[in-house]
Amino acid sequence: MDGSWFSSTFGKKLIQYVLVLAVALSINFALPRLAPGDPLEFFFGESTINELTPEQRQRALHELGLDRSVWEQYADFMTGVFHFDLGSSIKYGKPVTEVLADRLPWTVLLVAPSLIISAVIGIVIGAYAAWNRGKRRDLFFLSAMLTVESIPGFWIGMLLIAIFSVNLGWLPSFGAVPLAFTGGTAEYVGEIITHMILPVITITLSTVGGNFLLTRSSMLETLGQDYVYMAESKGASKRSLIFNHALRNALLPVYTHITMSLGILVSGAVVVESVFSYPGIGRLLYESVIARDYPMMQGVFLIITLGVIAANLLADVTYPLFDPRSRSRAWSREVSSSKQIGEETA
Amino acid sequence: MSANAKAAEHMWQEDLLQVRALRKTYAIKGSNKYKMTVLDGVSLSIKPNETVGLVGASGAGKSTIGRIIAGLETSDSGQLIYQGKDLQRMSAKERKQATSSIQMIFQDPYESLSPRMTIEQLVAEPLVIQKLHAKDSEQRRHAVRDALTEVSLSPDRYMQRYPHELSGGERQRVGLARAFITRPKLIVADEPTSMLDTSLRLDLLQLMKELSERHGIAYLFVTHDLALTRGFCDRLLVLDQGKVVETGTPEEITEQPQHPFTQGFISALLELDSF
Amino acid sequence: MISKGAKWIGWTGVLMLVIVFLLALIGPYVVRHDAEKQTGMPFQPPGAEHWLGTNDMGQDIMAELVVGARTSLTIGIAAALLATLIGTAIGLVSGYSGGWVDSLLMRIVDICLTLPFLPLMIVIGVYMGPSLITQVMVITLVMWAGKARKIRAQTLSLRSRGAVLAAQSMGAGHFYILWKHIFPSMLPLVIPQFVQAVNVSIMMESSLSFLGMGDPLSKSWGSMLFYANSRSAFLTEAWMWWVIPPGLCIVITVLAFSFIGYCLEERVNPRLRAYQAASLKGAKSAVKAALPGTSTADLLAVESLFVRYPKENSTMTAVDDVSFVIKKGEVLGLVGESGSGKSTVAAAVMQLLKPPAMVEQMGIHFADRDLSRLSPVEMRQIRGNRIALIPQAAMNALNPVMSVREQLAEAILSHRKAGKQEIQERIDQVLMQVGLTPRWGAAFPHELSGGMRQRAVIAMALINEPELVIADEPTTGLDVKVQVEIIKLLKDLQQRLNLSMIFISHDLPVVLSLADRVVIMNQGKIVDQGQTLTVAHHSTHPYTRRLIDSIPRIRTARPLQEQR
Repeated sequence: MDGSWFSSTFGKKLIQYVLVLAVALSINFALPRLAPGDPLEFFFGESTINELTPEQRQRALHELGLDRSVWEQYADFMTGVFHFDLGSSIKYGKPVTEVLADRLPWTVLLVAPSLIISAVIGIVIGAYAAWNRGKRRDLFFLSAMLTVESIPGFWIGMLLIAIFSVNLGWLPSFGAVPLAFTGGTAEYVGEIITHMILPVITITLSTVGGNFLLTRSSMLETLGQDYVYMAESKGASKRSLIFNHALRNALLPVYTHITMSLGILVSGAVVVESVFSYPGIGRLLYESVIARDYPMMQGVFLIITLGVIAANLLADVTYPLFDPRSRSRAWSREVSSSKQIGEETA
Repeated sequence: MSANAKAAEHMWQEDLLQVRALRKTYAIKGSNKYKMTVLDGVSLSIKPNETVGLVGASGAGKSTIGRIIAGLETSDSGQLIYQGKDLQRMSAKERKQATSSIQMIFQDPYESLSPRMTIEQLVAEPLVIQKLHAKDSEQRRHAVRDALTEVSLSPDRYMQRYPHELSGGERQRVGLARAFITRPKLIVADEPTSMLDTSLRLDLLQLMKELSERHGIAYLFVTHDLALTRGFCDRLLVLDQGKVVETGTPEEITEQPQHPFTQGFISALLELDSF
Repeated sequence: MISKGAKWIGWTGVLMLVIVFLLALIGPYVVRHDAEKQTGMPFQPPGAEHWLGTNDMGQDIMAELVVGARTSLTIGIAAALLATLIGTAIGLVSGYSGGWVDSLLMRIVDICLTLPFLPLMIVIGVYMGPSLITQVMVITLVMWAGKARKIRAQTLSLRSRGAVLAAQSMGAGHFYILWKHIFPSMLPLVIPQFVQAVNVSIMMESSLSFLGMGDPLSKSWGSMLFYANSRSAFLTEAWMWWVIPPGLCIVITVLAFSFIGYCLEERVNPRLRAYQAASLKGAKSAVKAALPGTSTADLLAVESLFVRYPKENSTMTAVDDVSFVIKKGEVLGLVGESGSGKSTVAAAVMQLLKPPAMVEQMGIHFADRDLSRLSPVEMRQIRGNRIALIPQAAMNALNPVMSVREQLAEAILSHRKAGKQEIQERIDQVLMQVGLTPRWGAAFPHELSGGMRQRAVIAMALINEPELVIADEPTTGLDVKVQVEIIKLLKDLQQRLNLSMIFISHDLPVVLSLADRVVIMNQGKIVDQGQTLTVAHHSTHPYTRRLIDSIPRIRTARPLQEQR
């Protein structure tokens, strides 16, 4: 890999991610201290602090370091974070990190399949609509997708529950597994899948519109490119025109978008998980907001930020696999220095 | 000071514009370490009423010189002595005053004229910016009519029209009228003919020549088309990789090129010409 | 111009928006109930008294919807306005000033864009306490950065545009340029940004309210659904009138703005208009009554070709009754200035014209077949196989994600089956013919210089040994030296392979040197044609003479006679 390329492009991105993390942490640090009201409330919850004696209060302030200078507190906070110490959850009485570890897998279980299904549908229909631009079919899919995109995810979820759970009674509407479960592994997996269906449909529907629109506009652009005209003039088949030339180039921005939305989806799951009472980290955030469990809330925010950064990194690292222009090869420098020679050998 | 040096000094004095040891580098996108040198110590001078041609292959830096003179870019080092004063050291106010007598015409006649303005507004724009005849709209209008007449566009036919209603050649003449309206001493012409059809190129140059003869305007004519400079330029500078490699009259340079780059360039052109 | 479909979408959006605004504005005067008070029994179904029934508290749902409309529209428009204003201001400053200011602002924007917005909104919202102002603020906070980035990109492109440079060269100050040139051009771009921001912020508002983060004192559609959800509306029949109407209201409002936004976006974004699907009306070429018995000695005979484009209410004729023939092994030069229709002729011969072009001809006869009557499949078999095109824009004619070798192989495989070995050998052979060492085959287009790319394109045209090659301005955009090399190459290949060729150019001397015969076009018509030498020396046609006379010569003492 070219050293200068690495240091400039990728290095800049890394710095950006570190900064994002720092900003997220600083927001976490600053909010309970800046927000109006008693800061202790943000650490212990309202009910506890009302019963504190003045001495206990002092001790609590001291233990939390709230009586020290802001910079000392900030340093302490950062040290804590790097030792994976995010404090204790008020509601669960367990370390925040432990609760997060319990909940994260469930969110991934919902988000990953939704993302794949939504990407496939969005890309296929988007490419189809672009190829048929201006015809009835294009207009139909365009307005349908804009409509789907305008439906709030929680409302889709509520309607699905009303129809498939309450009225038809086909699918469960609550949680990830039955509350009391006795049965073998196969049944257990079966239960997990039936519980996934409605939330996955909901997330898919609320993301498919974006994938469609991006694919369509990206494809419209590549279809107008000179290389597609050249391919047509060399007699390439319609299939090759669409797939090898137009779509392959059109997918580059779509790929980045989808990979990056992996992180954003995790946060989008807040709404859907709340509707379905699904025990992922989105629901966890919602619960901790309701319970005013501030340490938990901050922990979730942090883990989601990490997720977004990880998704961005994944996009950055894998993008060159699909776009040769961002691959730096030893000989491309050779070419640029020997362009004249290359022409003269001709 | 020796007599020789004095004579040289005197010669400098006569120049309208002197460019001394101009350097300019651009950062290469995506690289912190490497920079691309566009101008590598370029010096040149333009006398009043003189037409100087600047030729070279694309990427030789010829447009950059024009853009620096017109104030669109700044150089990394070097001086621009205009009528005895360094343009780049002037205060913003002085510079603005000086630029009213340095104008520029551009390569693209389609996008260098704002589509929302009428020809009258476009041609009057330098007056508005320089706050000339600010109180007298009748005088402004008169100046616009004059300028349009000078470039052989009938004021009555063109003043109220919009650029998109005009052909490329007409637009380029509007650009020339706009440059001319402040009665400049120097016009920087950056490839003014390259987007025009061949049959219109010589017409525009003819018009520029007449304007210069009537009003004593000097041109810095930036072009890649060596053939056009014949009969138009008094003097040519050949630029290669940010350096002036050869100067002379167009005839000298086309008939007896001295520098290897110029020789290669001319022989390529001749080949193209003689096909 | 925008497409009919986009217009339809835009007007549908306007219609829906009118409905929503009517609900918000005149609703309170029509609905008699107070949304905050218990005005009926709980869970009352829709009826004459309560048009949409009541909720669990006995409040009138229709009245709630009206109040909700006001909340949603207020928050949506306020937040969108703020975000667009801040974004536009930052984007303008960043893009216009450049340098470190730009870098700094863009880093901040990048960071804001990477932060996960929904949890951020929730976390900030919780600490600030739920209220209308909080909602507007957090929504603005997550939206401004995206707008700033878009506006900055626009500013950058406007700043380097000719009109701005011109003003700058006249000594205009920053304020003048921003106010007179950049801002007016920016306005049509800012408006769709604003409209799209409204739909996003209404969506965000409803999500926040649904999670219980809304202002508890003012009802909104999202908070209605929050109560419906938390009080288990599903257990009763009430969900039909309690859940569906507020949701529908959100959908209609968001959709209205996104429809209008799409329509406006298409108007200002040329990207979305670049391509038109094939075979729309008017696209199919019409064949006039064909003359029987064309001379079979001709390789290609174009008879009475017309190409028209719709223009406002009439049509513009780009190619006007053009007929010509080419014999085997002959080079025909097609000369004209820009807009003369010469490239359109090439595209018409290849049957590559797309709508809105309307093509009419007596016939385009190639090797005893009328190309205009062939099916798309038959024509595809001829394209690149028996007639090849070297297109104008060589710099972009190669697919950036495929290697040269892959693209050459595709050209072969589009027309016949061939073994791997055979394909590689043929590719090596043709690369050598155009003067590229075979190892360049593995390169991607961006790794090649302009001249090398054009050679690769020529290789692609020659790879199937076509009977006719159409070279459409093959040297545009190349440096003088490279132009000479490419023309030499074409000349050499033509002689070595005895190619029949149509050479299209505005450059008369080049055409005169290559062509056996020339056709001179002006404004879509053929104005002059004949043997090259005859035309060059004896043509009396004024246009031809003007073209020849206006050629600036490097050395004056080289009259045309000497050249050949």
